[in-house]
Amino acid sequence: MSGGIFGVIARRIIVAFPIVVLASILVFVVLRLIPADPVAMSVPPNATRDEVEAMRRALGLHLPIHEQYWIWLSKILTGTLGNSITFAQPVHRLIGQSLPATIELVVLAAFFATIIGLAGGLLMHRLQGTAGEQAADLGSTLIMSVPEFLWAIFFILLFGVALQWFPFSGRLDPGISVPRETGFLLIDCLIAARPGVFLNALEHMLLPALALAFGTAPLLMRVLRSSLMEVAQEDYVTMARLRGLSERQILVRHAFKNAFLPTLTLMGVQFSFLFGGTLLVEVIYGYPGIGNMMVEAVRNADLPIIQGVALVYAVAVLVINLGVDVLVLLLNPKLRVAR
Amino acid sequence: MSKTSKISRRSFVATTAAGTAALALPGTVLSQAKDSLVMGWPVDPPTWDPVVRTNPGIQSIYKMIFDQPMTQAPDLKVIPAVVKAWKLADDGKRLDLELRDDVVWHDGKKLTTADLKFTYLERKQKGEKLDIATVWRHLTDVQIDSDTKCSFILAAPMPTAVQWMAFLANFIVPKHHVEAIGAEKFGEQPIGTGPYKLVSYERNSRMVFEAFDKYWGPKPSIKKVTVLIMKDVSARVAAIQSGQADWVPEIPIRDVARFAGMKGFKAEAQPITRIMLLQIRSDQGFADKNVRLAAHHAIDKASLSRALFAGKAVPLSAITVPGAPSYDASFKFAYDPNLAKQLLAKSGFSTQKPINIGMATTNGFFPGDYDMARAIAQMWKLVGIEAKVEVIEQPKYFELNRANKLPEATLYSWDNATADPEMFAGYLLHPKLPFSAWKDMGVGERIMKLFDTVAYDQRIAGYKDVEKFAVNEGAAMPLLQAVMTRAYKENLKIVEYANGWSLPHTWSWS
Repeated sequence: MSGGIFGVIARRIIVAFPIVVLASILVFVVLRLIPADPVAMSVPPNATRDEVEAMRRALGLHLPIHEQYWIWLSKILTGTLGNSITFAQPVHRLIGQSLPATIELVVLAAFFATIIGLAGGLLMHRLQGTAGEQAADLGSTLIMSVPEFLWAIFFILLFGVALQWFPFSGRLDPGISVPRETGFLLIDCLIAARPGVFLNALEHMLLPALALAFGTAPLLMRVLRSSLMEVAQEDYVTMARLRGLSERQILVRHAFKNAFLPTLTLMGVQFSFLFGGTLLVEVIYGYPGIGNMMVEAVRNADLPIIQGVALVYAVAVLVINLGVDVLVLLLNPKLRVAR
Repeated sequence: MSKTSKISRRSFVATTAAGTAALALPGTVLSQAKDSLVMGWPVDPPTWDPVVRTNPGIQSIYKMIFDQPMTQAPDLKVIPAVVKAWKLADDGKRLDLELRDDVVWHDGKKLTTADLKFTYLERKQKGEKLDIATVWRHLTDVQIDSDTKCSFILAAPMPTAVQWMAFLANFIVPKHHVEAIGAEKFGEQPIGTGPYKLVSYERNSRMVFEAFDKYWGPKPSIKKVTVLIMKDVSARVAAIQSGQADWVPEIPIRDVARFAGMKGFKAEAQPITRIMLLQIRSDQGFADKNVRLAAHHAIDKASLSRALFAGKAVPLSAITVPGAPSYDASFKFAYDPNLAKQLLAKSGFSTQKPINIGMATTNGFFPGDYDMARAIAQMWKLVGIEAKVEVIEQPKYFELNRANKLPEATLYSWDNATADPEMFAGYLLHPKLPFSAWKDMGVGERIMKLFDTVAYDQRIAGYKDVEKFAVNEGAAMPLLQAVMTRAYKENLKIVEYANGWSLPHTWSWS
């Protein structure tokens, strides 16, 4: 078994390198082809055309695209991603400051999506054939049909303004802070032994994480429901009924484990999309993650940041899908035997 | 907002173990102390080194930590700051400065002329890529006479040297601190001489400032300021309405009237020193002066203001604003669609045989931009100009301008906190500067001559003339003076600056 799993991991890592390189080439070339002048946006109003041109040359933007790419790739191999044109700081440092916030948000959103998706799917299966199932179906359709950023705004209006239940800006209330150890605020709160601040941080994450989760949970709900319906027709389920097991026992001991596998695979795909979903949600909530940084970079045509964050997204997708593949392998003995 | 008749979130979670701990949390922002303030702000500083970038959106934030050599009064007049006296030579190539001797940095060390020389000259000589170096490109030396007196020596006349010292990126940085920790670290750990110290900062999230007790000027009444970065306009509106912020800028114009009518709030739309205009090409479809003038006469600016800015945006006839030194209230460029049709007819165009031109606009770069472009296109259609409106992003605008590929008209917004005409008409019509779409030398030569005119009254008179000349030539189509909107708690007393600066150290709670 361990050979199978390690084999999967090894194969995935080997395949990941060319995928990341191809993704980086695609992003790099497309950005260079877009008619946008990042340098002219970053100069004073009395700069002459010669000064603007000199700055472009200093940044290497006058070089052929393949030469610019090679310079950038060489920097990556030495551990840097270049310097931001807007911030005049190393891109890897800017990403390092912002990435933990996004990872925390995505993990919480994934947790919410899993809970809501699985609970919803089980509920719809339980209510099969009743008006309750139709109501749940309608609810999941409604959630799915509204984009995440609109849910984000709706939550602010409902829970932030009308009910004033939750904050909706930043990671902590004004006046509250905690020393930065890891950049993962929840972990830093635990390290600093500040449970009150931990809860405050969770309060701030709740609405953006829920908005993100709403983009994923309905799909998980539906796939689980469909899988449970399929599995219910299987011979071993019929046999279990004939043996006198209750429906609950059949669900827990047999049906759910098998129905969960397609849902797990979908979770991998959807959770990697969560990273992309953070772009607008982070801006709306003033959440200091890489999504927020990416939107600002696109606005300013800050090519080094866009390239760096795009690379991070590509790696994140590959890592998440690798994790899911390993989990599927662990949960499905048939796949291990086949290998 | 009363919670007695509603389900309270706090009472809901109080039944759980988590809720017990939550009750131990500090009070929420709804119970703001009278010496503290929470502001929403739409722009994050790219760096805390204030001389690196010229960014109008963060001037007010930088002014909390740093001082400029000179500053501006609310009525735009340049007044002393840490420089208490100055003299610009008649040839514009020498600027004598005298500093106050009671200014200290946040770490207690004194501000001296060495800091001025370091900021303006030495960092440039080290090869650092700074916008302040570009602004002061002609600066060759800073002659120090004492800790409080020095002279800037320039290789070429700089008539707006004094104005620039109160303008973008002109902040004094501490030589001893920058040299000790390096410029890159200084961009993260700034100290200044301003009324506030930066105590914490999280990019794209928030900044916390505390009053500096040794500030040389009037001590701030508000001792602690938290600035929440809120780039999304609906989040800013929600923040002020829910009480999570005490003051927010740049809210939709429709919300100004709403908040102004709500108990506990004030809201305003204040005209500032920012112009909305059409940048014009001197060739292609606009090569004909009749067509250019017709296009300008066809624009009903008062209607644009009523429709998009509740009538608060002032229609403009020249590239300047009321209150600016070169503003001439008697000069009016009339809205006259009949005259527009006559001018077009002279060149063989009419509504039956329209002239086709292109118009570029941003969408969301400044309030009402896209709607204004579409409205203008409709006004032009009524007189015989068919404009194809193309939406472009701001980076693309710069690229097109650089490559001289902008269409005939481009809707743009131009900020100038000083209101000095060089920074308005000068930069927008100088054919050799990157922001000018107009390349014709008829106007260009007059502008370039004024860049070398040092005598203030002569320079201002010259700009007054050229601003009218440019409009009468069809080289410029100013539209409206932009408004800055804001909403805040009614017991917050603010000081209104004509250039839109928002300076909490001048505010107080009543």
